[in-house]
Amino acid sequence: MQRTVSSLPIAPPVKVKLISSGFQYVADLCDLRPLQLSKEAGISQQEAVDVLQEVRGKRDQGVAPGGGLTALELFEKEQGLGSIVTFCSALDSVLGGGLPVGKTSEVCGAPGVGKTQLCIQLAVDVQIPLCFGGLGGHAVYIDTEGSFLVQRVVDMAEAAVKHCSLLAEDTEQREALKGFTLETILSNLFLFRCHDYVELLAEIYLLPDFLAQHPEVRLVVIDSIAFPFRHDFEDLSQRTRLLNGLAQQLIQMATQHNIAVVLTNQMTTKVGNGQSKLVPALGESWGHAATQRLILHWEGQQRLASLYKSPSHPEATVPYQITVSICNPLTVTSGSFHHSSIH
Amino acid sequence: MASRKLRRSSVPADVCERLSRHHIETCQDLLSLTALEVMCLAGQSYAQACQLLRLVSQICAPKMTTALELWKQRADQYFPTSLAALDHWLQGGLACGTLTEMTGPAGCGKSQLCMMLSVLATLPRSMGGLDGGVVYIDTESAFSAERLVEIAQNRFPDHFSDRKRIVEMAGRVHLFRELTCRDVLNRLQHLEEDIISCQARLVILDSMASVVRKEFELSLPGNLVHRSNLLGQQAAMLKCLAQEFSIPVLLTNQITTHLGERPSVSSKWNSLEGFVLPGDGDSGYVTAALGNTWSHTVNTRLILQYLDSCQRQIIVAKSPVAPFAVFNYSVQRDGIQLEGDSNQADPSHQGTDPGLQPIRVRTGFNCNLTQVSPTGSHSRSSVS
Repeated sequence: MQRTVSSLPIAPPVKVKLISSGFQYVADLCDLRPLQLSKEAGISQQEAVDVLQEVRGKRDQGVAPGGGLTALELFEKEQGLGSIVTFCSALDSVLGGGLPVGKTSEVCGAPGVGKTQLCIQLAVDVQIPLCFGGLGGHAVYIDTEGSFLVQRVVDMAEAAVKHCSLLAEDTEQREALKGFTLETILSNLFLFRCHDYVELLAEIYLLPDFLAQHPEVRLVVIDSIAFPFRHDFEDLSQRTRLLNGLAQQLIQMATQHNIAVVLTNQMTTKVGNGQSKLVPALGESWGHAATQRLILHWEGQQRLASLYKSPSHPEATVPYQITVSICNPLTVTSGSFHHSSIH
Repeated sequence: MASRKLRRSSVPADVCERLSRHHIETCQDLLSLTALEVMCLAGQSYAQACQLLRLVSQICAPKMTTALELWKQRADQYFPTSLAALDHWLQGGLACGTLTEMTGPAGCGKSQLCMMLSVLATLPRSMGGLDGGVVYIDTESAFSAERLVEIAQNRFPDHFSDRKRIVEMAGRVHLFRELTCRDVLNRLQHLEEDIISCQARLVILDSMASVVRKEFELSLPGNLVHRSNLLGQQAAMLKCLAQEFSIPVLLTNQITTHLGERPSVSSKWNSLEGFVLPGDGDSGYVTAALGNTWSHTVNTRLILQYLDSCQRQIIVAKSPVAPFAVFNYSVQRDGIQLEGDSNQADPSHQGTDPGLQPIRVRTGFNCNLTQVSPTGSHSRSSVS
């Protein structure tokens, strides 16, 4: 099966001229020289050079674009990636050690339930040094709602530093603690404040360049992705298209740069059969966007976290609280840092 | 930035020309397209289309900052309300750059609190104020200039003993009366100019709910979505202004009856006499108006409710920096005063979803004759 000229990513006017000059398949173009092509197709010399470069570049790549991986290679790669702890041992065990790196996770919740708190916690925890079981990485926080208040980050950062200094046992850990202070934590948290969906889209387009310049970033948080998309759209199909494009770009970033992407979503009221219930916002199709979905909800006065969608862990619900410094489960367990391992 | 014309950016002229034939004139229009659409409309290759999108993104994208830079500017982050226990609980007061909402039943003291905060905002920084103007958008005609002056004179008698200072304070509070949704929207669209010309350091919108609830009949199809969109747009405008100017924005809201099971609250409240939560035994209860989406949108929610015939309570129902808490207060000549011990936050008080938090309303009223003092507790001070 040969590749047709109309499927090449070249400019449409050039494509039209090539096809009308009789070039149907890529194979027809392979052996031509630029001057010859430009005379036969009626395109400029520069356009002919671009077309031939495109064609030859494709041929050199071979049959399987991007190369294939075996499941064994992927298994080893996933084990080495690690996950970001949340300091709430029940939540971490439900997630299999924490939020996974290299995947997109969505956190949905009712108002006031703690989504922003969880995001800020993760932005601090990703910076925990490697010898304490953390990732020693930096964090990017994209805030669309204005709920990011630096006082909260300071509280959580101080608690994390204190927790680590209590756990420090050997010289390597004590050495690492010197680079893990309040100032370094705050300076490694990159903040972008987006006021509408255009700024958010623009920021996501530029994020791969930013990640290439800052290779230590291990976490990107978007809090929340729902707010800018919920009120400006007359045309819902355009919104769905933009959200899908956004989701794809984020998944690509997560796998290429080895980062964890966390998105926060809101809940909306769905009325049906005479009763109303809360469901995640942004529509049914958005449910497919993230790899993992965590739903935080209220049960009376208790906050509960449910793992709703995950390819590797079963559904489970655990209670949690928000305290001054870290989220705790109801039963206090002694926590120690450890990497998750697939067993 | 999003409405910037492509012609004014460094996009090549022929590309601009081709795009404008398809009505793609601003950066927003271009970024709302996918790369394939840009390819077709601009007649470029895939790589060139991606490059164009990146170029336009650089114009629209926000600037990066780090948490450390934010922390270093911390002096400007909070507006103290002069209610010491509440300020301490909220890590300093109303957070600048965010939306704070006050909701509660009629007559509970929301407008009183707004007027008190207006006075405070005009005070110099040495007295805990913001040394700036106030933009007060009033949709219910609840603002009373005489009450403003009364609060000022009673709360800070030494400072406002000089008549010139009262005149100056009153001159800094700019009142805008808007009575329909369209007027409110217009006002918000031009608010940036007003804030700059008034040198405002506080924006108050009292109230968000009254115009919206008057004009949107929710039983008509499509109105719920339309109302949510309007509220969302207004909130986004306010948040943008709050963050750009680094000022607090205060909104007031009303109450509504929510049909459904009430989330169980701690029994301490139920045992108070006379003022029970309405709907005990019924299937509905009173909660904040404007719905679940609005509860997501506001950053801080303070609920004012009745406790008994003279005391009321202020509840911190949603806050990015403070847990749930309840404080008792009463309305006096000098505005709002907190009652009781300074350490009000009782850990046994637990909250629930701020959109479903039950609110206690007044079910009866106090019929005792009020004693009027011979000097006339209703005397009005006048500024002439």
